[in-house]
Amino acid sequence: MTDLSSQSVRSHLNRRNRHQTMIKGFGMAAIGFAALMLFILVSSLVSSGYKAFTQTHVTVEVFVDPAEIKPERLPRGGFDDVLLASLKTYFPDVSGRADEKALEGIFSNGAQFTLRDRIVADPGLIGQSITMTVPTSDPFDQLAKDLVKRDTPETQRRVSDREIGWFDTLDQAGAISQPLNWGLISNTDSRFPELAGLKGALMGSFWALLVCFVISFPLGIGAAIYLEEFAPRNRLSDFIEVNINNLAAVPSVVFGLLALAVFIGWMGMPRSAPLVGGMTLALMTLPTIIIATRAALKAVPPSIREAALGVGASKHQVVFGHVLPLAMPGILTGTIIGLAQALGETAPLLLIGMNAFITSAPDSPLDSATALPTQIFIWADSPERGFVSRTSAAILVLLTFLITMNAIAIYLRSKFERKW
Amino acid sequence: MTTAAFACLLVFSVIGYVWNRQAATAIRRDGARLHSLVGFHGAYSLLVLLVPVLVLILLWLLLQGPVIDMLLKSGIGAQLEGLGTGEVQLIVAEIKSIARDVVFGTPDPWKIEAAEQLTALQARSGQLLLVVVAGMSLVLVALSRRKVSAEFRARHGVERIISGLMIFCSVVAVFVTIGIVASLMFETSKFFAKVSVVEFLFGTNWEPQIPLREDQVAAEGAFGWLPVMLGTLVITVIALVIAVPVGLMSAIYLNEFAPRKFRAVAKPLLEILAGVPTVVYGFFAILVVAPAIRSFGQSLGLDVSPNTALAAGGVMGIMLIPFISSFADDALSAVPQSLRDGALGLGATRAEMMTGVLFPAAIPGIVGGVLLAVSRAIGETMIVVMAAGLIAKMTMNPLDSVTTVTVQIVTLLIGDTSFDNPKTLAAFALGMMLFIVTLIINIFALRIVRKYREAYD
Amino acid sequence: MFDTQTPEKTVTSDTLKFTARDVHVYYDDAEAIKGVNVDILDKTVTAFIGPSGCGKSTFLRCLNRMNDTIPICRVTGEIRLDGQDIYDRSIDPVQLRAKVGMVFQKPNPFPKSIYDNVAYGPRIHGLANTRADLDVIVEKSLRRAALWDEAKDRLDSPGTGLSGGQQQRLCIARAVATAPEVLLMDEPCSALDPIATAQVEELIDELRQDYSVVIVTHSMQQAARVSQRTAFFHLGHLVEFGETSHIFTNPSDERTESYITGRIG
Repeated sequence: MTDLSSQSVRSHLNRRNRHQTMIKGFGMAAIGFAALMLFILVSSLVSSGYKAFTQTHVTVEVFVDPAEIKPERLPRGGFDDVLLASLKTYFPDVSGRADEKALEGIFSNGAQFTLRDRIVADPGLIGQSITMTVPTSDPFDQLAKDLVKRDTPETQRRVSDREIGWFDTLDQAGAISQPLNWGLISNTDSRFPELAGLKGALMGSFWALLVCFVISFPLGIGAAIYLEEFAPRNRLSDFIEVNINNLAAVPSVVFGLLALAVFIGWMGMPRSAPLVGGMTLALMTLPTIIIATRAALKAVPPSIREAALGVGASKHQVVFGHVLPLAMPGILTGTIIGLAQALGETAPLLLIGMNAFITSAPDSPLDSATALPTQIFIWADSPERGFVSRTSAAILVLLTFLITMNAIAIYLRSKFERKW
Repeated sequence: MTTAAFACLLVFSVIGYVWNRQAATAIRRDGARLHSLVGFHGAYSLLVLLVPVLVLILLWLLLQGPVIDMLLKSGIGAQLEGLGTGEVQLIVAEIKSIARDVVFGTPDPWKIEAAEQLTALQARSGQLLLVVVAGMSLVLVALSRRKVSAEFRARHGVERIISGLMIFCSVVAVFVTIGIVASLMFETSKFFAKVSVVEFLFGTNWEPQIPLREDQVAAEGAFGWLPVMLGTLVITVIALVIAVPVGLMSAIYLNEFAPRKFRAVAKPLLEILAGVPTVVYGFFAILVVAPAIRSFGQSLGLDVSPNTALAAGGVMGIMLIPFISSFADDALSAVPQSLRDGALGLGATRAEMMTGVLFPAAIPGIVGGVLLAVSRAIGETMIVVMAAGLIAKMTMNPLDSVTTVTVQIVTLLIGDTSFDNPKTLAAFALGMMLFIVTLIINIFALRIVRKYREAYD
Repeated sequence: MFDTQTPEKTVTSDTLKFTARDVHVYYDDAEAIKGVNVDILDKTVTAFIGPSGCGKSTFLRCLNRMNDTIPICRVTGEIRLDGQDIYDRSIDPVQLRAKVGMVFQKPNPFPKSIYDNVAYGPRIHGLANTRADLDVIVEKSLRRAALWDEAKDRLDSPGTGLSGGQQQRLCIARAVATAPEVLLMDEPCSALDPIATAQVEELIDELRQDYSVVIVTHSMQQAARVSQRTAFFHLGHLVEFGETSHIFTNPSDERTESYITGRIG
């Protein structure tokens, strides 16, 4: 018999323990790596995105010059000249077409339309002075947020020294403010970063998800109930089952191809419409809902089914009266998770044209629209610097939705979970 | 008109329900014993009406567009003679917008006339639909009313209809698969009519540009998918090199060594990583990872392209970590407790039990999970669309820019597409290959996973 | 209330309720019941006893066609209820089960209120036209199941909140509410403590006045206490069937004797 405390046994044991520590170390390192990546991902998004939640505005006194804007010519008129004149009160020495153009560049391109809309709504303003707060254009927004560094050489900067001077003058005069950027939610897409917002994309995603839910929820539950409770165990139901499992693993871009060929090519449905997007997403969500529903139905104990059958309920009455209601929390949880996946899905929507540049929010599922993820893709692809932080901000909005949906799902599961 | 048709259907359904229900109640009041509850008599009428008429309305709406288009085109056949499909589409679109009162300039009078004809056709179709719906509803309501009697097995009827609906639901999944295969095959066969199969499968040149003008020189377009496939492989390998070791090690740690509290935190953390949409990973790749790799490479004096395979593959690897880790965790948990006890009872350390007993026993399940991850990586689209390149090169250098099957599908199809040029069709051919490859891997992987589960159940 | 009155050990009725002839049950290819003939009398408690796996529960589930719910299960032979073949195509198993109620091994109340549990059967079979009718049925059934005094003040609380014995009596009330003619009980006391068992056993004896009761039990004492007639099953065969007193005191088959004296089991 070996002596358990002998030197050789002990050193052997030490080696074995070191081996164990090493494996643990690798495991911790792996999880640490994953956590680090998550941290970098989130922090890079937050640090580049939080600035898009405010927007630099400039407040000016505008004299609505009757010489430039005449009531009978509305909605046409020299709105940009009026705006320029208001700036010139600060910088009387600026003259010449090119310089004036540069000065006017402080305003966002949308400023003149805001002014126009106000005057069209109330022509009585002509001849009066009104106070207007409008977004600055993107370069000045970047400057105000310190994204354009003042110490970079002038030639590599998007704003010249003189423009910085103008801006500082305005700032000292108290005309510059940085309020919360509600436009990010309430504006639709625009070529100008300072005007671009997510309203169109949010509405598009809403319609698409609604269509997706309306189609996939009943279809998924119907299929799951049939397969779990009614279908005879034969080759056909095996085939359907294998089919559904495989469908869940088909690359999403293939669903896009299907939608492009069938919905748009053969059925002649409109491109870029949330209806088509929702139908495509429904096909992708279907397997998720079916699998979740079957799991929830399976979790209802057979004793409930027997009890109902025993008092003479028919199979349908058992399923729809007892099993389905008891499985509902599980089904809803699975459905919400499926919809959250659908909300983040991008590739199939690109193929059916939901990445178009559309400046109005859709009023119905048949109007052209973008969706949140495709809007992120469009902005990520845009060359203007201002879109970088807006992309991050849009991603944060998308992630907020996803986290909310998942939180609801987790809440439902914990609230209604039943231990049998 | 469509709304009116739906309203009409709804009203008739309610009438049918109430009528049958009351008839059944009256029979019961007379003392007869009904086979089915009165509610089932009502529901029978409701379903007998709702299902067929709803199908009719949906089919009508689906077919109305193409049929009206056809009538419209035959109406203005004289003007369309000799025009290509693209021009015909343009004219039809213009007429439609005129019909919607969106007019640019002064259109030709025949177009205005056609627009009026279109409006009339649409109105007539709506009226016809309403009449047909009303007529059919009347007949069905009357028919189901006649069936009400004490012996009538309304419950059986209702249950049969519901079963039918449920069977339809389950078959939809099969239809989707058939739809995928059919549409891919159809478009792919059109592609192979223009480009030879051999060139596609074995060509080493992928330049899907097509001539803009008929007489343009030197832009024939080349459709050899090998460089595209190679690029996909390079990125997939990079992703797996990151995801497999990290995923497996974290699963091993979480499954056996992690304290309960740590596990309770770490698992949801990994799930968050799994729930992040791929478009976000794509943006992460171009915002953080690609610049980091580039500046790191340049500091070493390497020539790094702006969209390296490494950046796209690396980010994809991060995306796959939770996927592999959860599969491996499940596989390890499925190994019966008796095997663990056996190993520990012999005096093995927990690490020895893991490496010597648990891990080998769980290998089939883990392999299945890794295979599914491979198929995910091959089919993953957004990360590579945003972070990988567009030019197909025969290279295996991870610091070079490569393109993938999914990138090509998306870039070929973004923008206006018509279904008759090889550029569009090439995307479907690539999609076909993608579908076949991932399907084979999936079937194989799912079978392994299933076998493994059964072995320990 | 619980005096030690022993139930009448003689059979009080000779009206036939069930007649089974040459019944075989197969699970796929395995034969679980091998040619059973049995006559079950009205207003009598009949006990099925035998070692586990002998097929007594399987046979019981043939009597209200609960086996139909198992896809691989196949029944041949003839079972008649009041002279009518219950496996005839014209018979709706759903209506059969309203006539032949069943109580299961583990109490399985629906996760609904006590009232809804009892009212469920009458509702789906359309036995009550008004809420008042339903109230009457519920009260009668709960009284029948000796649960009314304990439950009348909490009809709206969930049935799952009752104790095990109460739950099982609730299940009996639920079965009684559809006005069945036969009650099948599949080891109704096996999940209960001795006191609850005594209550349920007493209830079974009372139920005999209105129903034909068939009870499967693994406890010979229970069979001796509650039943008038006893059938002994062994390996899918009906070995012996007769008056309980006779079976327990003077079995004619040696397998029965071995089982009763505890040599097989």
